[in-house]
Amino acid sequence: MAVDAQRPTARAATTSRPRPKREREEEVLVWPDLVFIEFIAAVLFTITFLILSVMINAPLLNRANPDVTPNPSKAPWYFLNLQELLLHMDKAWAGVLLPTIALGFFASIPYIDRSRGGQGVWFGTKYSVRLAVVAAVYTVFVLGLLVAFDAGEDSRFEYATRWVPSCDNAAEHAGLPCLKDQEGAAHTGFITMKDISKRLQFSIPFPKIFGTSAGDIEEGSGDEVLTKDGWLDWPEDVDKIPVPFNNFSCCYGSLHLWEGMNLNLASIMAEQVLPLLTIAFFTILILYALFRIGWLRTKRDVFIVMFTAVVTIYFALSLVGSFFRGEAQALIWPWEVKVDEG
Amino acid sequence: MAVTEEPGKPRNWSERIQALQDRVYSAIFHNYVWQSVFRSGYPNTPRNQMLVVATNVFLHLHPTRIHKTHVKITHTYCLGGLTFFMFLVLTVTGILLMFYYVPSVERAYQDIAALETNVKFGLLMRNMHRWTAHAMVILVFLHMMRVFYTGAYKPPREFNWVVGVILLVLTLVLSFTGYLLPWDQLALWAVTVGHGIGGSAPYFGDETQLIVFGGFEIGPNALIRFYTLHVIALPLIAAIFMAVHFWRIRRDGGMARPL
Repeated sequence: MAVDAQRPTARAATTSRPRPKREREEEVLVWPDLVFIEFIAAVLFTITFLILSVMINAPLLNRANPDVTPNPSKAPWYFLNLQELLLHMDKAWAGVLLPTIALGFFASIPYIDRSRGGQGVWFGTKYSVRLAVVAAVYTVFVLGLLVAFDAGEDSRFEYATRWVPSCDNAAEHAGLPCLKDQEGAAHTGFITMKDISKRLQFSIPFPKIFGTSAGDIEEGSGDEVLTKDGWLDWPEDVDKIPVPFNNFSCCYGSLHLWEGMNLNLASIMAEQVLPLLTIAFFTILILYALFRIGWLRTKRDVFIVMFTAVVTIYFALSLVGSFFRGEAQALIWPWEVKVDEG
Repeated sequence: MAVTEEPGKPRNWSERIQALQDRVYSAIFHNYVWQSVFRSGYPNTPRNQMLVVATNVFLHLHPTRIHKTHVKITHTYCLGGLTFFMFLVLTVTGILLMFYYVPSVERAYQDIAALETNVKFGLLMRNMHRWTAHAMVILVFLHMMRVFYTGAYKPPREFNWVVGVILLVLTLVLSFTGYLLPWDQLALWAVTVGHGIGGSAPYFGDETQLIVFGGFEIGPNALIRFYTLHVIALPLIAAIFMAVHFWRIRRDGGMARPL
């Protein structure tokens, strides 16, 4: 057995602690002590799953039919958290980038927290139990708040933003923020974060020194027109901002990744910047608060908070997706969940 | 064992029962057939017990001795071992399912339906496969949490933690690829959601859909790809990473314990 790798560094070995018992005296034989436990665990699980399988049948719905879409259609439970994120932010962040970042975060933990202390015992640092509990409770609380706020119809978000007037009587509110309501619908506030790019409208004065306006550009010159009337209108004027060199064609056209690309600043704000800032804000808030009250002392403590938060987000959002999402992914109570299988 | 002692005359009832137990034990474990299968008896000396572990092909993943704190259930809750055990159960039930399943759009659903009604214990096998698959996902997460909260990722075990993260991803992908195979509405539309998520990858969305799912919608290509990944490619890759994972536990000095 490679006990040497287990030994502390030479420095620790030279300190004058009472000599620990010899390795051999502290050891037990794998047969029977460990093998027996493994055997019992395997037998218990086999019996449990045999009974479970006799009692509960695996689901089998109708034959797959690409023409009939169930409402809601849901991913397997372990990916429902990603599906939940898709409702609140840009799909590339929700589906690919954030999960990749989370896995990269997991993999990088031991390379950043290189301390050797506190291993082999549960919750090795002084405050780690309360840090884990606080992180989990805080995460569930914040997630609940955010999901309720960004829920769509009848969400808190809507009540909070009803003061923004409707664009129907735009004449009275020239330049002020207003909301574009659906034809004939009663006025509501904006109901999800994504509405910031879709329904919210406002204009701010935009002097010529910051950009060109329509008057300066000759007809058909090909220059992009940023503002047409001396006002910067949200979102019309910012949803097609050309990326530098986007008409620059080099060598092989397909290798030029952003060729012909325009940035939709309105949707970047609503679906990328604001959601990510929200995540960053709540992360920094809890870390700073715990640091100020003196519970966060080492990198290990920071990782305990962040690891607990990520795992909690994973399972909490899966639960939201499983039990709180109904038709068209509307937020509902668990007892209202039913699936229209089409 | 009592059989090696000189049997005296039983003096009271407890000794009579003891004598009966010994006779039954002897009849089971010391008969001609049993001893033809197991060449030596129960290893009842420390030396033989270590030899059993060191020379048995299935047991030699273990060291011969471990520190006594590691056999406490609450140290690991057996989570890693149980995850591996789920993998074994899934392999066995999966092979049984493969006997009855043809991965074509025409036959897949019909085969699963027939499995449930026409095949003896077919429904049981499918249920076992389904529930142990879910259990494996949960157990692998719990195992990761155990390793994290006991600080077992710390030096010298950094790389084994990374291997563990890879195994987590493999477990999720294995489960997801299996989800499509029954070819029912649940399977199709759940995988369609995943297909959409894959397609949202920046710059490589279309390529992801074409390579992983075999097209821009879930059809025969996706089914055969998921089947091949699910029954051969991913289990093989997972087995390789598991071998490295277990081997590194011993190379890194066994399970973590206080310095």
